[in-house]
Amino acid sequence: MPVALPGSIAITVGGDELRLLPDRAVHWVRTSTLLIADPHFGKAATFRAAGIYVPSGTTGAALDRLDAMLESTGAQRIVFLGDFLHAREGRHPSTLAAIDAWRSRHGSVDMLLVRGNHDRRAGDPPASLRIACVDGPHAEPPFALAHHPVQVDGAYVLAGHVHPAARLHGAAREHARLPCFQFGADCALLPAFGEFTGLADVEVSAGDRVWVTTGTEVIALAGDDPSRSTSG
Amino acid sequence: MTALAERAAHVAARAPRGSIGEAERWFTTRGWRPFDFQREVWSAYRDGESGLIHAATGTGKTLAAWWGPLLEWLDEGVEGQPGRARKVRRSSAPSLRVLWVTPLRALAADTLESLAAPLRDLAIPWTLESRTGDTPAAMRARQRKRLPTALVTTPESLSLLLTREDVGELFADLRAIVVDEWHELLGTKRGVQVELALARVRALAPRTRVWGLSATIGNLEQARDSLLGTHAGPTPSRIVRGVEPKQIVVDSLIPPVIERFPWAGHLGTQMVPQVVAAIEEGDTAIVFTNTRSQTEIWYQALLAARPDWAGTIALHHGSLDRRKRDWVENGLRTGALRCVVATSSLDLGVDFSPVDRVVQIGSPKGIARLLQRAGRSGHRPGAISRITCVPTNALELIEVAAVRDGMFAGAIESRQPLDRPLDVLAQHVVTVAIGGGFDPAQLLAEVRATRSYAGLTDEEWEWTLAFLTSGGAALTAYPEYARLVRDGSRFVVQDAQIARRHKMAIGTIVGDAHITVSYLRGGTLGSVEESFIARLAPGDRFVFAGTPLEFVRVRDMKAWVRRASTVKGAIPRWAGSRMPLSGELSQMLRERLGEASRGILRDPELQALRPLLEVQRKWSAIPTADELLIERVKSRQGWHLYFFPFEGRLVHEGLAALLAYRMSRLRPITFSMSSNDYGFELLSAGEPPLGEALGAGLLSPDDLVHDIPASLNSTEMAKRQFREIARVAGLVFPGFPRAGKSARQLQATSGLFFDVFRQYDPTNLLLTQAHREVLERQLERSRMGRALQRIDRARVIVMAPPRISPLAFPLWVDRNRERVSSEKLADRIRRMQLSLERAAG
Repeated sequence: MPVALPGSIAITVGGDELRLLPDRAVHWVRTSTLLIADPHFGKAATFRAAGIYVPSGTTGAALDRLDAMLESTGAQRIVFLGDFLHAREGRHPSTLAAIDAWRSRHGSVDMLLVRGNHDRRAGDPPASLRIACVDGPHAEPPFALAHHPVQVDGAYVLAGHVHPAARLHGAAREHARLPCFQFGADCALLPAFGEFTGLADVEVSAGDRVWVTTGTEVIALAGDDPSRSTSG
Repeated sequence: MTALAERAAHVAARAPRGSIGEAERWFTTRGWRPFDFQREVWSAYRDGESGLIHAATGTGKTLAAWWGPLLEWLDEGVEGQPGRARKVRRSSAPSLRVLWVTPLRALAADTLESLAAPLRDLAIPWTLESRTGDTPAAMRARQRKRLPTALVTTPESLSLLLTREDVGELFADLRAIVVDEWHELLGTKRGVQVELALARVRALAPRTRVWGLSATIGNLEQARDSLLGTHAGPTPSRIVRGVEPKQIVVDSLIPPVIERFPWAGHLGTQMVPQVVAAIEEGDTAIVFTNTRSQTEIWYQALLAARPDWAGTIALHHGSLDRRKRDWVENGLRTGALRCVVATSSLDLGVDFSPVDRVVQIGSPKGIARLLQRAGRSGHRPGAISRITCVPTNALELIEVAAVRDGMFAGAIESRQPLDRPLDVLAQHVVTVAIGGGFDPAQLLAEVRATRSYAGLTDEEWEWTLAFLTSGGAALTAYPEYARLVRDGSRFVVQDAQIARRHKMAIGTIVGDAHITVSYLRGGTLGSVEESFIARLAPGDRFVFAGTPLEFVRVRDMKAWVRRASTVKGAIPRWAGSRMPLSGELSQMLRERLGEASRGILRDPELQALRPLLEVQRKWSAIPTADELLIERVKSRQGWHLYFFPFEGRLVHEGLAALLAYRMSRLRPITFSMSSNDYGFELLSAGEPPLGEALGAGLLSPDDLVHDIPASLNSTEMAKRQFREIARVAGLVFPGFPRAGKSARQLQATSGLFFDVFRQYDPTNLLLTQAHREVLERQLERSRMGRALQRIDRARVIVMAPPRISPLAFPLWVDRNRERVSSEKLADRIRRMQLSLERAAG
């Protein structure tokens, strides 16, 4: 069990401990799993293939962040909650080679992709990456792992797809907009992990719990019941 | 026929064909005589000269420019048959000879009409057509096969012509390009787009003469150089001054009870009864507002006050459907309408003779603009032009007095041309590459012949080419990326998809992407910014084109609506509403306030403000021209600091960021800022270290080279400026009709691009450009420097009024804010809350 996960917050859902990590991922402690939503690998390459310049470095930076989290959590498994590859046009050799090299550095880590809408058009990751692929929702009690936030009887859904962001305001007309984790009554939204991905404001219902991440720190939003979240 | 006209006709009849006499004869048949300046243009044109004509609206600039090419045609000896106009066949008409560029689509129809008259009367066998975003597809198809002899077009459609591979043949017989309302284009990226297009045309058709038509502005020489380029070659050029403006009267409608008048009302519709009375004084009136949303509001308010005017009152703005605009313009021309509520869409061009009353709602913001608007009235012989200003907040009364001072002093504003924006260059380079490709050395020489890019460095040019071919970053290879490819010595675009997307994006310099507003049952109302539609939920109501509507959904790039019964609800808040006070007007304003501080209240406007100025003096102070007033107030929101330099909003935005940055270096603090034409507010949750900061050089003009960029980096200004750059440079696209699923994979916001560029390609010159544009265009750095020099010499007065003072009130209610912070993001977040309304259940 890793000791120091600076900036993270541990919460309990369905009796299981989940750690919300500042780098836009969730560590499912009991199963030693990292949950990663919406990496959109190859998005920059997709743009470049269409004649739209995007600088390189986004794939490398995302993989470096995965490295760091695998090390700090000691996780033995990664589940990608959909949209692993952005588009067919983005399956560029240099992008795939970088992911391949990263994969070989973590040969013993199990990887699973719960397919998302982009995966359907982009295709599954190459077999050489050894990432098992399933359609969601994928049952792993007490959770159902999915790309789209759907309802699943008897399970708490962990999903991506939305790229959730929270709009905040404060005294003296302060405001900010940050990626967030949103935990509802029977479904949670994870922030998009990818580097070159946008944000969408979420609607918050009464009883929802929301945490934002600054990139280095996960922060519970004021107004939330403090007894339901404990600082990690 | 009068004796004079008879004599003129006699003189004209003796004049040889094809000479200037031909024009004089035509003028005579209409009961006119050419002005001297028109004759000057005709002979200059015949001598091969290019030039710039400046004159007030409706004084014959169009005919001055148009008759040059007509006389040239007649000189070439092709006989017309006067009086027997026949339909000219496209196939037998001469090929393209005249390009007429107009900044507004809305002007194209009217221009066509005025150009057509002499063609008809002299039976000149030319075809004359327009090509704009409004041109129907069938006409476009015909024009693809063969262009008319004279083509009226917009800057965007001109650039689109340059993407045709046969562009050289198209322009083979081109004689003249006329750029109408050049002052409107100067100082904008569309103007730079025109500069580049003109350079291309000059290279393809060197004998083309270029004539610009402009209102009078403060920097006519620069305007001419921008139009004609710096390497005009052997062709001489001149500036022709047209007819002097008529006498102009500027007055205001003064609210009867100033104390009860709101200090900052965005609408000012309390003045409706007085405005109705003013409209009734004349036969036909134009009511100008500064924003399209105000147009909708005032139209509704006037109609509510006078329901019997239904049918004789209309509104006009650039977002309306073309047919609706045509109907309104026609009604003005014939005098069928009693009143039209309009934005700047009616500032330009078109002559509406029946208009005898012009009302300006809100501050005109500049002297030249007010003169232009006033000039819309009084076209009948012997009439004077009169413009009546209606303040939307009490302080605007001072602006009216100041603008009158400026008019008498002849302080006409300049339009500063833009210096080498690389986004526009990148777009143009792709345009030329699609239109047959280019040799880089030749294109560089061509581009440098424009005024805007005369100072383009080799590095910037190389970078632009590299950005389009390989990505620009020297150390990285992008095998999958190539917008341009090298084909031997030439650069071309090979990918048809890239060419197609580029052509669709050419029109995007203008601004935010627009979306068509259509009834579910059929019929189009006009178009509105996508950002406005994006904020609507199905069922929301809003007013557009004077009609209450209910939003149903967005599909196929259209906003579908149905008629709603009530008027209540949102009025679209369009962009372009926050035009700053000009430097000239700011100067006049400070002098007027200086007088007021000494108790001198000249003119009805200032006298009406006496009660409000008394409150200002009692609670705080009225600053003289050599004082800087600072007010500090504590409220439930936090600590407010108000600074009043009276330098115009843009300068204040820069000063606010600078001062906030300097104070935030003294201790961790977060400021939110708002600015208007009079001053700016810094608001913080904790007490700001004002005294300490003033002692440490808060207002000093030193270290600006470091402090201004640093303060800029701490705001979102560059990121916002990058929106336009990303669009022009072809990084982000407006939603395309029928773009299909593959386009969805290519959606990213300009903000996302900005972040990725800043992190992974920080030396990208488009980022540099964003910073430069904020400094030079948005913050008017040179004006800011001069302002700080002035403030440095000024006496600083710090007051603590018991309440928000009259001067500060408009800032206090402004919600459009920037931010500077020296606190940890996490510390700020902990003070904030979710701003979303928690949904029920």
